[in-house]
Amino acid sequence: MDTAIRIRNVSHRFGEEGEARNVRALLDTSFDVARGELLCLIGPSGCGKSTLLNVVGGLLAPTAGSVEVKGKKVAGPMPRDIAFVFQENALFPWNTVRENVDLGMRFQGVARPERAERAQRALEAVGLKDFADHFPGQLSGGMRQRAALARALSLQTDILLMDEPFGALDEQTRMILGEDLSVLLAATRKTIVFVTHSLGEAVFLADRFAVFSARPGTIKQVITVDEPHPRKPEFVTSEKFTKLRNQLYALLHDEIRKTMSAESARPATPGALS
Amino acid sequence: MGAAAHMTSLAGRFLTKTAIARLAVIALMLAVWEIAARGFVDPLFLAPPSRVVAGLGTVFATNGVPAAVGITLVELVVAFALSVAIGLSVGLALGLFDFPRRSFMPMVLLVYGMPQITILPLFVLYFGIGPASKIAFGVTHGMFPIIVTVVAGVQNVKPILLTSARAMGASFWQQFRYVVFPHMIPVFFTGMRLGMTGVLLGVLLAELYVSTAGIGYFTTLFTQNFDPTKLLGLVGTLAAMAIVLNAIMRRLEMRFARWRD
Amino acid sequence: MRQLAVRAVQIAVPVALVALWYLATTRWGVSRILLPNPVDAARALGHVLATGEYVDDLRVTLTELAIAFAISVGAGITLGYLFSRSSFRIRVFDPLLSAIYSVPLILFLPLYVLWFGLGPASKIALGATISFFPIALSTIAGFGRVEPMMVTAARSMGASDLQLFRFVLLPAAFPVIIAGARLGFTVALLSIIGSETLASLAGLGHKIVELSEGMEMPRMFAYIAFVVAIAAILNIAVSRLEAWGRRHT
Repeated sequence: MDTAIRIRNVSHRFGEEGEARNVRALLDTSFDVARGELLCLIGPSGCGKSTLLNVVGGLLAPTAGSVEVKGKKVAGPMPRDIAFVFQENALFPWNTVRENVDLGMRFQGVARPERAERAQRALEAVGLKDFADHFPGQLSGGMRQRAALARALSLQTDILLMDEPFGALDEQTRMILGEDLSVLLAATRKTIVFVTHSLGEAVFLADRFAVFSARPGTIKQVITVDEPHPRKPEFVTSEKFTKLRNQLYALLHDEIRKTMSAESARPATPGALS
Repeated sequence: MGAAAHMTSLAGRFLTKTAIARLAVIALMLAVWEIAARGFVDPLFLAPPSRVVAGLGTVFATNGVPAAVGITLVELVVAFALSVAIGLSVGLALGLFDFPRRSFMPMVLLVYGMPQITILPLFVLYFGIGPASKIAFGVTHGMFPIIVTVVAGVQNVKPILLTSARAMGASFWQQFRYVVFPHMIPVFFTGMRLGMTGVLLGVLLAELYVSTAGIGYFTTLFTQNFDPTKLLGLVGTLAAMAIVLNAIMRRLEMRFARWRD
Repeated sequence: MRQLAVRAVQIAVPVALVALWYLATTRWGVSRILLPNPVDAARALGHVLATGEYVDDLRVTLTELAIAFAISVGAGITLGYLFSRSSFRIRVFDPLLSAIYSVPLILFLPLYVLWFGLGPASKIALGATISFFPIALSTIAGFGRVEPMMVTAARSMGASDLQLFRFVLLPAAFPVIIAGARLGFTVALLSIIGSETLASLAGLGHKIVELSEGMEMPRMFAYIAFVVAIAAILNIAVSRLEAWGRRHT
């Protein structure tokens, strides 16, 4: 396998032992992500999937273990290699969509003449060409996430980390955006790590999906979805899809129950992780 | 838990990192003040906190000072009580009844926005240099925030709540007593806190203005005599009084705002 | 229909008050020493405006205001920014600043007079001190409440500290800071007029006191009206500026 991301024995604990905040978010986790694949991380709330994503992206230093991206050890954000798409609130409301995309490249260090052209291409790729000069507040949730995606695409990184990017959207919008993402993946061959709660989304999008156990989480099982991108909408109604989805449901069901009962037994910790 | 563990956890609750940091900042400022006053600044202008505290006894032994401070406190209490009484009644009258509110609220806001300090000399001219002018000036500062917040509190009751009550057959009085009034209480306490701030400002402004009697006399006296020890002592005492009164109002406000987010 | 009645009341009440005022001083024997005839007061106002005798005092007051506000904005935003840099700092300093601000700081005027004398310096110092707090507190609130996701996103794209400040923190905090600056301006104006009333040799506040001590009632009322008008004009100007500032970020 041509490895894009190498995760070795990563575990993470928030807070100090004995402190109220102390929580073991992630247990010893090791994994390889192949170049050009879309890997989904799925699991119950608080199982550490977002924590793992942040560790991979260099936003969080793990309490143990290490991550290598394209052969380089991750020690902080790597804007040239990794772009993020967050769930929401990451666009700057005082800038237009186009300005937001431009700003991202500016942070990365792209020269001015190149930025306008790259921005235009990214906006066209996500279908926002006609809304480029609108403000995020004027757009629907789905369009805002397209804008966030455009920003990430314009950075032209090999790796895209997406933390529940469609989580705040209604199911219908999610389906459409999922299909569009699949088309994009086929066209660009990026490596994508995608965190989600949604079983349907995981099966539809992933080349492989890693199922997490309840907190403290670790990868319980990895399942391969053997279906080329771009995936057709018909895939959702196929037998293969249903079988995988049922398999995923069976794996997750107990973990979700475990999480729910743990949560009601203990008062909620502020700053809940996912 | 053993006694030691119990005490450490108690200490842990009070001596959180932020509390220690805050105390450290205050201690640092006091230390700088102390050193500056002792070594660097002319004693005609600044006295160190140690000497100020020690000198408090002398300040209060000075003939007339305890009376002045006492009267000020009485003025504050009376002005506050009047502000609440007037503020609440006017606020309810305007809040509950549409026509009076639409007619008079703009006028109320206009007067509230006026710099009342400009008419302080008039107050003293009309009410004299005794407590009456101080109380009156305090009331005019304290009643407006209460009026405004009470009106807002009454107005902001979610219509759906009143609709449900009406649908269940509640009369006007019942709607007021069981829906509007409980809804309004937290806001009322916020208004009272703001009213207290206003009363403090009004009464103290009036007191400081009248430099022939009361606190104003003594602040002027200590200033003209270049006696920073006594001046700081007096001013510090008044500031402490203001802090305590504000803290009381804040406690009350928090206690009654429990069901609010 | 209701609207008409409302308007009618809003006009009738001030008119009635003025009428009462007039009657009180002309027919009902309220002493002219206490209350001037409204006609005399209006005439005095006209005279004050026409001769421009207010200029010197106005200049003193406005100069004090400008300098005090400049100081408090500079110090308030700078310190407010520094205090907002970590949630720990916010938890330490924000309550401290709020606690000090809850005291009527005009109390410290005698101290400032002791230190700076009766001239403009003490007014400027007190004005700067008092208006520092709302500005610093709103700066802390503005910078402290920037959506963390935006900061994370910017950092993930490689933003430097300077870029983060210029493109994320500042635009996000700006509306809140501007609102605080506006409050600071109002407070500075009030405290300057107040300290001129209490202890000064010049300025508009002092003028009013001077006239009250001289029992020159018509001119005193004229100056009161004048100062109220000036305060209103300044406040409107500042509101306009705030709205303009909001639109252009």
